[in-house]
Amino acid sequence: MAFFSLVMLAMFPTIHANASFAKLIEAYPEALRKLFDISNYTTGPGYLRTEVFSFMAPLLITIYAILQGSDLLAGEEERRTIDLLLANPVSRRRVVMEKWLALATGVGALSVVLELLLGLIGPLFRLHLGWRQLSAEVLGTALFGLFGGTLALAWGAWTGARGAARGVAAAVTVAMYLLSALAQLVSALGSFEWASLWYHALGGDPLTTGFHYWHLGVVAMVIGVLLLAATLLFDRRDLTT
Amino acid sequence: METATDTTVDQSVAISLDHVTKIYRGGGGVYELSLDIAVGEVFGFLGPNGAGKTTTIRLILDLIRPSSGRIRVFGLDSRTDSVAIRRRVGYLPGELALYERLSARQILTHFAHLRGGLDWKKVEHYVEAFDLDVDRPVRSLSRGNRQKVGLVAAMMGDPEFLLLDEPTSGLDPLVQRTVQSEVRRAAREGRTVLLSSHVLSEVGEVADRVGLIREGRLIDIESVAQLQGHAAHLVEVRFRGPTDVQTFISLPGVLSHRVDDRSLHLEVAGDLNPIVALLARYDLEDLSIREPTLEELFMRFYGVSDG
Repeated sequence: MAFFSLVMLAMFPTIHANASFAKLIEAYPEALRKLFDISNYTTGPGYLRTEVFSFMAPLLITIYAILQGSDLLAGEEERRTIDLLLANPVSRRRVVMEKWLALATGVGALSVVLELLLGLIGPLFRLHLGWRQLSAEVLGTALFGLFGGTLALAWGAWTGARGAARGVAAAVTVAMYLLSALAQLVSALGSFEWASLWYHALGGDPLTTGFHYWHLGVVAMVIGVLLLAATLLFDRRDLTT
Repeated sequence: METATDTTVDQSVAISLDHVTKIYRGGGGVYELSLDIAVGEVFGFLGPNGAGKTTTIRLILDLIRPSSGRIRVFGLDSRTDSVAIRRRVGYLPGELALYERLSARQILTHFAHLRGGLDWKKVEHYVEAFDLDVDRPVRSLSRGNRQKVGLVAAMMGDPEFLLLDEPTSGLDPLVQRTVQSEVRRAAREGRTVLLSSHVLSEVGEVADRVGLIREGRLIDIESVAQLQGHAAHLVEVRFRGPTDVQTFISLPGVLSHRVDDRSLHLEVAGDLNPIVALLARYDLEDLSIREPTLEELFMRFYGVSDG
């Protein structure tokens, strides 16, 4: 992710200075511009939004979170190490909570790296961002990824099946992304966009407009509900032999 | 969280299973298991693979939940007081799985931490007893060495109750002896041990009493002395010269005999000395004396064959 961000940053001066890029993008059909979130491509925030935040950064962080989330409980159960772990005097609820904390810490660490990379190295490539706006965008990205990871954790806690946890979490996050992206094009979908956590985490261009607390709160709340569900479901189940 | 101990519970009972049933959708499980193990007792769980030994042990640890019935460990309920129980129990899983990327030292330190910190000197005792290299990553260890990691993890806190599921599987005879002596030491210190096995001699070495389990049902509980009384040796001898089979058959303790070719098969209960003395007078081509397998034992005394 660091490498990807660096390459993207390094390319910005070329694009920024080149007026023909702006024209090229103007010439794209509007649908395409909306789908890939290409507007203001030659400004710093616009460029980053398109290249980093509209797809790649959330994708990488979400993939990381889903892999971790599915592995932490269901993976440990499939590898059978959960038997030894739970032979210790720790409650299942505590295990779920601490596993989730590990997941959140991992996502948090990746996000901090992303933020520092863009915020500190960006200016070297004449890409100036407000810390506040950047933080809002990174937090949205992190929360969306953590949602995917927590969903995988919860599904794994419920079923003990790692593959299924990955599949379900991937399908739901991709569906939310598509709903949000297509809602820009198909006005009929616009009224359903609230159902997409992508919209709540990353909609409304936080890289320009900063924090949208209510929307971030919705994502955080869904994560909280999933975590609670994970705890209860894991607590009442037979662990697989 | 400290949980009140039920005052009606006999303090000399370490574990009590009360009509415990666990039914699996796909079959298997255990049925109406009732059993008390006294504090300081070494109890052997003996049965063929798939008999329900592991199921019972996992029920005790609340890894799975009974369909009906109740389990108490030191008077604590296995469902509601599981954490308090596990604080006093050391467990070796039958199908041991360890964190592959960690070393034994990292795993043991982690578990010691989860147990609220342990005296590393105690851990050292077991590490030395089992001659375990704690600094190599688990993925590079042989099956026997992995088993040692599991054994140390189970025993390192000197828990009041040791739950060992097939503890000697994959171990060479020397290490098996170490396990036996550690189990005996635990019993001497007044600690309780439940160990499972599908090998009669293994359980017989250390257990005070043995529970025979088959197809999820506890068939019988016997003292080891009783069990070994049942457990006739099987003597198979091939003679070079002519033999008076009748002298063998009439020896005390010979339960049955069979002659084929030049071989004599005898089932001998109790003292083996008379037969050994008699054999010494003959020129033998081959001789084997072995214990009956578990299946043969079940067959003979419980009239069931191991399906």
